[in-house]
Amino acid sequence: MALIMYDAVFGDTGLQAQTPERVDAEQQSLALILNLLRRDEASTKLEIERISGLGRAIVSDRVATLAELKLADESEMGVTSGGRTPRNIKFNENTALFLVAHVDQSTIGVGLADLNGKLVFEHHEPSDSVADHQAVLTRVTSLFDWALEQHLGDKAIWGIGLSVDGPVEQNENQFFSSPTLHFLPNWEGARFVESLVAKYSTPVWVRNATQMTTLGELRAGGGRGASDMLFVDLGKEITAGIVCDGRLYRGAQGGAGLIGHISTGEDSLVPCKCGNLGCLEAVAGADAISRSATKAAQTGQSTELAELLSANGELSPSDVATAAIMGDAFSAELLARSGRQIGTTIAALTNAFNPSLIVLGGPWAQQSDILLAAIREAIYRRSHPLVSRDLKIIRSQMSGSATLIGLALSMVDEIFAPYPLARWVKLASPLKHSQIINSIAATKIDVASRARRLVPPAPTAKLAS
Amino acid sequence: MPITGLGPHGERAASPLSLKLTDSDAADAVKRRFSVAVILHTTGSDWARQQLAGISSTLGQHSAAIVDVVDCAFVAEQQMAALTRLSSEKVDAIISIPIGNSRVAGAHRLVQKAGKKLILLDNTPSGLAAGTDYSCVVSADNFGLGEIAAKLLTSHVAPNQKLGLLSYAVDFLATNEREIAFRKWLSINRPDIAIAQTKFQTLSEVHNVTKGLLEKNENLAGLFVVWDEPAILAAKVLEQLHLSIPMTTIDLGNEAAINMANGGAIKGIGAQRPYDQGKAAATAALLALLGRQLPSWVALPGLAVTQDNVIAAYQMVWHTPAPPELIKVRRR
Repeated sequence: MALIMYDAVFGDTGLQAQTPERVDAEQQSLALILNLLRRDEASTKLEIERISGLGRAIVSDRVATLAELKLADESEMGVTSGGRTPRNIKFNENTALFLVAHVDQSTIGVGLADLNGKLVFEHHEPSDSVADHQAVLTRVTSLFDWALEQHLGDKAIWGIGLSVDGPVEQNENQFFSSPTLHFLPNWEGARFVESLVAKYSTPVWVRNATQMTTLGELRAGGGRGASDMLFVDLGKEITAGIVCDGRLYRGAQGGAGLIGHISTGEDSLVPCKCGNLGCLEAVAGADAISRSATKAAQTGQSTELAELLSANGELSPSDVATAAIMGDAFSAELLARSGRQIGTTIAALTNAFNPSLIVLGGPWAQQSDILLAAIREAIYRRSHPLVSRDLKIIRSQMSGSATLIGLALSMVDEIFAPYPLARWVKLASPLKHSQIINSIAATKIDVASRARRLVPPAPTAKLAS
Repeated sequence: MPITGLGPHGERAASPLSLKLTDSDAADAVKRRFSVAVILHTTGSDWARQQLAGISSTLGQHSAAIVDVVDCAFVAEQQMAALTRLSSEKVDAIISIPIGNSRVAGAHRLVQKAGKKLILLDNTPSGLAAGTDYSCVVSADNFGLGEIAAKLLTSHVAPNQKLGLLSYAVDFLATNEREIAFRKWLSINRPDIAIAQTKFQTLSEVHNVTKGLLEKNENLAGLFVVWDEPAILAAKVLEQLHLSIPMTTIDLGNEAAINMANGGAIKGIGAQRPYDQGKAAATAALLALLGRQLPSWVALPGLAVTQDNVIAAYQMVWHTPAPPELIKVRRR
């Protein structure tokens, strides 16, 4: 049997083989067939033979092996076109589940997805304790545990996906994408990821939230079929996900899409948190809108905003949107102005990337039609006629689900990429691969030893008086 | 009260006040004489009757007819059959409360594919997208209701006790949210309290399931039941067993309100506003039919109800005077 020596890299999960791992022809053909089934490219042995070029005996043997491994199911009868009725062979997407979670400065979203990346459960809730990483960890694990109690049954958990705001560097030399998270204030030194690994005995993938939302929109939302797409997240921060030639573009440090920090050329007295002046976020972002609205409320420019300020104690962009719906001219103009500034920046990106589709998402996209209309108008007005000729601009229909679905799809892509799949397929689960077993064991030891160090020493015995 | 939960896809809530027909919209709606079908899990509950009252009054004001009301008797297959049938009939819009999750997703997807408008009540099956598959979800703030129930119940519970939680075994967004919020509120505010949980699949199971919970946990200090109909059945079990255990639940149904007013086991209720929710759902259906873009999640806040405010709350929720049984209690 031919042996193929694969390169050390185990997909782009960062899994590294200590020594190059041999993958034989059987592993290769099992991986090939499983992926044909998984992508619905084949559903009978005949189709597998035709597409893969493998012989009948090999295909029969491999399908039987995949069924034994519970990765495929051939119990269903197909439709005959003459002769013996073929059996339909299906990828068994219910063998295991993925846990997914999104954490940002104001919300927590969790979900469970099958091996096709389809969500079987999701829940979103506001979070006001994001600065306390232990509280967030407790909440996320409580929600995971609750969801698993309802849906896990006899399935395994093959991985956890965690999306966060801010760039996430993917270090291919490390098993876990980001061992320590610094993406939120006061999270320095948090052992969030490692704690999840230790508790659930499964790998954790950390990804940038906007990029995962973009992936979700591309594969399961309004972006289906688009090869060049921009997703713009209009939230507390303004970020973008970029899809070129059907692939998500992450950038050298995983920071592609920080469009909130593109200079608008406008003077701003308030510096952006990146230290510059005139960034889009500082001029037209949530804080800028809240600041202008508060000033208008305090100086008598808007009675509606003054009432909302007195009722709520502060003004959010959502309050401004409410005031605009109630007919407040100042709020409507404030949103329109922000929309024009955001649209102008997106127009520059449109000229640079020539996307066929722009998806506007995030909380504001749901709350203010005035803002959206101004963004659209500015994009069409400020971009080159050639790139705006067939450009479609839509509002996201998926909201936070896109992030969770994107995370699940990202894990599916990584676990079922041909190289890693060939290495674990005969074991029936990636969790049985020695490298993953060892990495999880090492993480558990690390978490346990740190926990021991944090336990205060027992009081020493009193000396006899 | 503010909305404390997020929508089925993480959306921030839009207020029902944002669903407004302009004068020209209203005139247009009257002219077009829309037809609307309503599919409910049951038509037998007080909640369902109130929803229907709100829906029909709003549609009636705009010359839209309710051409079919389907009672699915909590059976997913009946709902799927009704959706399939109505998708091919002359109906402009359907207002439906999905029974369960992914099982009924496909049937709900048929509605907008057939060129009709779909307004969902309280629940969104996994995989359905706002805009494409449905126009809007109108629901109570179920997360907030769970918090209300926890707060009201724990005010009757001494430290370090155990509570019973009677939850719904069907994967249903509204009851899931209530349970998650109930547990969350306890974990933050009363971490001293332990929870013993049991689940029922149908109302006919509630009696035995409650008895089983009580037998396994002899010293329960309280009981939360995820909506009023099973709560009333559970309260009857407590009566039979001569147990005095404080209960809270969701929905200000007639029996639950009377039980609470009479000093029964039910000590507090997180009340939905089904009449107002019905009005909002009907308005959303009209706006969708007129081609207006809708917020994907419209939520109505819950109302904390105890013996002290039950009559006023009843009038607010039901939009009618309280029944004589409640008034009598007040006059005692």
